[in-house]
Amino acid sequence: MMDDFEKQLKDALSRVGPSPFFEARVLGAVKRREREHRASSRLWWASAIAAVLLVVVGSLWQYERNTREEEAGKEAKARLELALRVTSVRLQKISRKVEGI
Amino acid sequence: MRPAGRPPRYYSIEAVITPGETRDTEQNANSEPRTFVQVLRAQQSMVFSIAYQFLRNREAAEEVAQDVFVQLHQHFDELKSDAHISFWLRKVASHRSIDYVRKRRFEAGVGLEDAPVAATGGEQQDYFLKRRLQSLVGSLPEKPRMVMILRYQEDMMPEEIASVLNMPVRTVKSHLQRSLAMLREKIDRSMGDVR
Amino acid sequence: MKYCVALLALVPLAAQEIKMPPGLDKLAEKASDVVDVTLDGALLQLASRFLSEKDPDEAHVKHIVGGLKGVYVKSFEFDDLNQYNQSDVEEIRAQLKAPGWARIVSARSKRNGDNSEIYLKTESGQVAGLVIIVAEPKELTIVNLVGSIRPEDIRDLGGHLGIPKIDAGPAKPDKQDKPEKKDKEDNQ
Repeated sequence: MMDDFEKQLKDALSRVGPSPFFEARVLGAVKRREREHRASSRLWWASAIAAVLLVVVGSLWQYERNTREEEAGKEAKARLELALRVTSVRLQKISRKVEGI
Repeated sequence: MRPAGRPPRYYSIEAVITPGETRDTEQNANSEPRTFVQVLRAQQSMVFSIAYQFLRNREAAEEVAQDVFVQLHQHFDELKSDAHISFWLRKVASHRSIDYVRKRRFEAGVGLEDAPVAATGGEQQDYFLKRRLQSLVGSLPEKPRMVMILRYQEDMMPEEIASVLNMPVRTVKSHLQRSLAMLREKIDRSMGDVR
Repeated sequence: MKYCVALLALVPLAAQEIKMPPGLDKLAEKASDVVDVTLDGALLQLASRFLSEKDPDEAHVKHIVGGLKGVYVKSFEFDDLNQYNQSDVEEIRAQLKAPGWARIVSARSKRNGDNSEIYLKTESGQVAGLVIIVAEPKELTIVNLVGSIRPEDIRDLGGHLGIPKIDAGPAKPDKQDKPEKKDKEDNQ
């Protein structure tokens, strides 16, 4: 059992209510936070979609680049083979002339 | 008033249920899950009071109480029962109030209640005594202050207070004992032999 | 006919590109057959990446090309005589008088009007480049290989990728490959 002093203390520390507008302020703050969260979520999704698009576009670009590079490489190889063939044939002709001395 | 020679009792063996909770239980008799707004309406006094008695400033107390309920909204789905919600609200309100003081070096409001209690009519005297006690509680260090509020405003047992404030039970009891002794002494001094 | 032959001992190193006279580009309009190949370092590396190491022929060429920094070939065949200016050829020969260049082979026929030359650039006793000039009445071919070339590399080009074998270096009866008796048309 509480003594008198403690009862007085309990009375002094009894609950008091907030202002009449407290509930409205809380609900307003909750709504604001939800809006911010949705905006943040939308931003997150937009970033995620942008990242995916970036990866897809990057992959397509890389694929196209690889394809172009492969075509260029094969073309370069063909030209190299042609150049070496011409060089070798000319050298052979010169060699035959030299051997004919 | 306590007769001389009898040691002070610093806790009561009364029922744990506080007035607010009885009402809440009745409203929830159908076991319908409560909405956030229902909880807000039912518990706003409790949360605000904890902050107000601690901070002694209505504006600061409403700010803290608002933050507590916004946080409750974020975690509402995780809290399963009314008892769980009440415990959660007391815990968060207590810690937020203490943090508020620490972050802002906030000092509890003081005012007329510091004035000596006038030895006049009974009702006026009770009013001033009440304000004096509120002020004295507000002047306690943070942890003992919150212990007193949870004990005498919320009627919580030392074990419950220890759980809410994350401190050992013996520390809670020590705070209660020392704070009561200090308050009695100061009231005795300010009122003389009138209580 | 007199033919001058001189060969130097060859060891690999780097070289310089010869400037092709701008007049050569106009010869394409008159020529019946044109080979125009310009492969600088980057293109050579690219081409080399597409030479398969699993194919023995391509692997061999890949090894040779690894030492080259540039391959420049301009070859024109004409149906009619006198389709190019000797001044264009002289412009190239003038560049080959610079220090380091030496003509190691000259095969000239006054009767046929053929003139074939091989030039090598050396730096510090090492080969840094090769130029071949073939000036015939109905053909003009300029070849410039820049980079590290070994005589056996030139020799070894023959027999791979459909390239005929050639002879290079001093005549060695036991080891030298006998040239083809038949004239082979260029496969261009």
